[in-house]
Amino acid sequence: MAMVATSARDTGKSRAARNWRPDRSTVISMLSVAVFFILWQLAPEMGWVNGRFTSQPTQVLVAAIDVILNDDFFYHARISLAEFSLGFALALVVSIPLGVLLGTSRTARHLIDPPLMALYVAPTLVLLPILVVSLGIGMASKVAIVFLNALFPIVVNTIAGMSEADPQLIRAARSFGASKLDVFVRILLPGSLPSILTGIRLAVGRGVMGVVVGELFVSQAGIGYQLNTYGSAMRIDRLLVYALVVSVFGYLLTVSVRALENRVSTWRPE
Amino acid sequence: MAEIEIRNLGIDYRKPNSDEVFAAVDDISLSIAAGEFVSIVGSSGCGKSTLLLSVAGLVKIARGTITIGGRPVSGPGPDRAVVFQDASLLPWRTVLGNVRFGLEMQRWTGGDLTERAMSMIKLVGLARFADYHPHQLSGGMRQRVNIARALAVDPQVLLMDEPFGALDAQTREIMGGELLRIWEGDKKTALFVTHDIDEAIFLSDKVVVMGRNPGHIKEVIAIDLPRPRTQEILDTPQFTEYRRRLRAHLAADMAGMHFMEEAA
Amino acid sequence: MITDVFMRRQALILGTMSFIIIGVLWQLVVDFGIVNPFFISTPSAVWQELLVQLQDGSLLVNTAATLYSFALALGLAVVVGIGLGVLAGWFRDAEAALEPFIWFKYSAPTVAFYPLFVAWLGYGTPTIVAIAFLFALTPIYANTLSGIKNVDRDLKRVATSFGARPHDIFFRIALPGAVPVIVAGLRLGVGRALTGVVVAELFGANAGLGYSIAYYAQMLQTSRMMVPIVTVILLGVILTQALSYIEKRTEAWRVVHDN
Repeated sequence: MAMVATSARDTGKSRAARNWRPDRSTVISMLSVAVFFILWQLAPEMGWVNGRFTSQPTQVLVAAIDVILNDDFFYHARISLAEFSLGFALALVVSIPLGVLLGTSRTARHLIDPPLMALYVAPTLVLLPILVVSLGIGMASKVAIVFLNALFPIVVNTIAGMSEADPQLIRAARSFGASKLDVFVRILLPGSLPSILTGIRLAVGRGVMGVVVGELFVSQAGIGYQLNTYGSAMRIDRLLVYALVVSVFGYLLTVSVRALENRVSTWRPE
Repeated sequence: MAEIEIRNLGIDYRKPNSDEVFAAVDDISLSIAAGEFVSIVGSSGCGKSTLLLSVAGLVKIARGTITIGGRPVSGPGPDRAVVFQDASLLPWRTVLGNVRFGLEMQRWTGGDLTERAMSMIKLVGLARFADYHPHQLSGGMRQRVNIARALAVDPQVLLMDEPFGALDAQTREIMGGELLRIWEGDKKTALFVTHDIDEAIFLSDKVVVMGRNPGHIKEVIAIDLPRPRTQEILDTPQFTEYRRRLRAHLAADMAGMHFMEEAA
Repeated sequence: MITDVFMRRQALILGTMSFIIIGVLWQLVVDFGIVNPFFISTPSAVWQELLVQLQDGSLLVNTAATLYSFALALGLAVVVGIGLGVLAGWFRDAEAALEPFIWFKYSAPTVAFYPLFVAWLGYGTPTIVAIAFLFALTPIYANTLSGIKNVDRDLKRVATSFGARPHDIFFRIALPGAVPVIVAGLRLGVGRALTGVVVAELFGANAGLGYSIAYYAQMLQTSRMMVPIVTVILLGVILTQALSYIEKRTEAWRVVHDN
């Protein structure tokens, strides 16, 4: 009977897609972006805003080419990327086993849950100054802040994935004589994979944020360093280029993890 | 004069994400007299709920007409009220607030809303629970609220879409008896969709049997049993005979389904 | 029931124990010379400093400054986030128009635009509020949008059957039905607003917990720095717990179906 409720709007949309006409929402989205860029371009020229503060799309485009050709862009990008990759890899290596341990042992969970939750919900980034005092203003403190910021979403989601496992499924497996290891490898691990990936996806955003915050706070090189430099020099065009680079990086990584997530989620029960 | 007159009714639906159009029901004609209690039975997918919702004005009519008291149906109206399969109560409102809801939507002008709602709540036996929220009630109690909400707007026609479908067998039997008691009070014209044969016979003056592909009426059986009815009637030979006839119909329909699945 | 109470008590005891263990370990690694107290201080030294900062009022002043920016940012995010979310949830075209920007906001780390806000608004409260506002906006908007958009079909049909007009459905069904989801968004937004305030204060401010952390960090005074750090973590936990409590109470508003 559910099909009766299908609204006219839904059916109208699918019909439009069939004929390869872009649907209304897509057109509006594109228009909206176009209006934004046109306004951004025009506003300084019409004297509505001071172009020194807003720059313009064309200026940003020119600056992008300029930055890539003659601004040590790759040097700074490589440093930030290294900080991110190291910190993130470390977070992966520590968080998943930790999550598995906490997810399978109730005592361990009760013991660690309160401080873990406190650090998960509280702004982990406040620990940055301690890290800088302990590890210096170089790469090490950024690696550490990426690690810390990325750690908790993965741990928490791994725990959630482990405890989400269907007890009936486990009982069924045990009745067929499966060992604890079998249950872990064949039921718990695949069952919690989507949840772990969700944690990793959230951690990507927090890791990228960690690099930027770490470098903005104090650094001698890296994208955040460049952001600071061009911010204080009032080079809004270049500032925006670097901010966009970080955004695109975060976006691409997040989208890739989400794609992976969707793949493993297909066999997950509703 | 017939209260509800359905003539050559056809309703189409479009498969989700496709252009294919199917007839959910086709060429249905049915007359229901004022004060008559009519049940519609049929296997799932025969379009019995679609038929009911079209009388409610919630489904677009593709072909044919439906008139109520001579006026054609073009949408929902205050002359009809629906009791849905899912109680569909507003979780943030109390029982009283939920029964008031229909009155508020219809801009009821027949007196004090709260008074009217309270009398309906008493009628369905929930007076003590007027201040409760839906999550504090059992499934049967939620359906009572659902019925009270529909009765409150004092419709000429009461449309019920498997209202007891989600209840356990015992509660279901009790609710059937309750419904009859309430209905005997002012004998509103009632259209009742169910897949439970006993329920249909027990409640109705007429049972409409529907078949599938597309939904159509196979037979209309008049139930000639005395009213008021009690549960004892279920054991009478007449009742058993009606049950046998309806079962034979539905069994034939099921057999047809299996054949079609194999062919496909 | 009994095992439930027992479990909860066990969780409480073990949870309290874990904080004590952390404190003791922290003290011991320093006392036994494993870690230089210069880097992490000690619980006893932090306690001393807490008393000092309470006495001279600096902790209170900084907490008040942080909470002031926090309240402004959250208030703005609630008004704008719920406003836009409702608009986008009810009007499909509004959703389509906003979508690319929200999409960008999701993937872009807001802090990367911090220097831009400094260029526009200078160092201080306006920039801090702007950053925290942007931090908190996304979850509030996204949850409001989905709450309004996914208005319960059955309830909508009931209302329609009684002749409800679109504004009836909006005010009586969609809006109240979205409350639990919106509150869940607020819980996320609260945590993010606090993070935004403190991070922006770390970079540049003349009061606030983040400022105080950065200030003592520059002075390399670890014990003093630990006081505002612990305060921020406590604030985060308290605010989130408060919202979780409200969220539980609105759970009763979630629509249940019998089948």
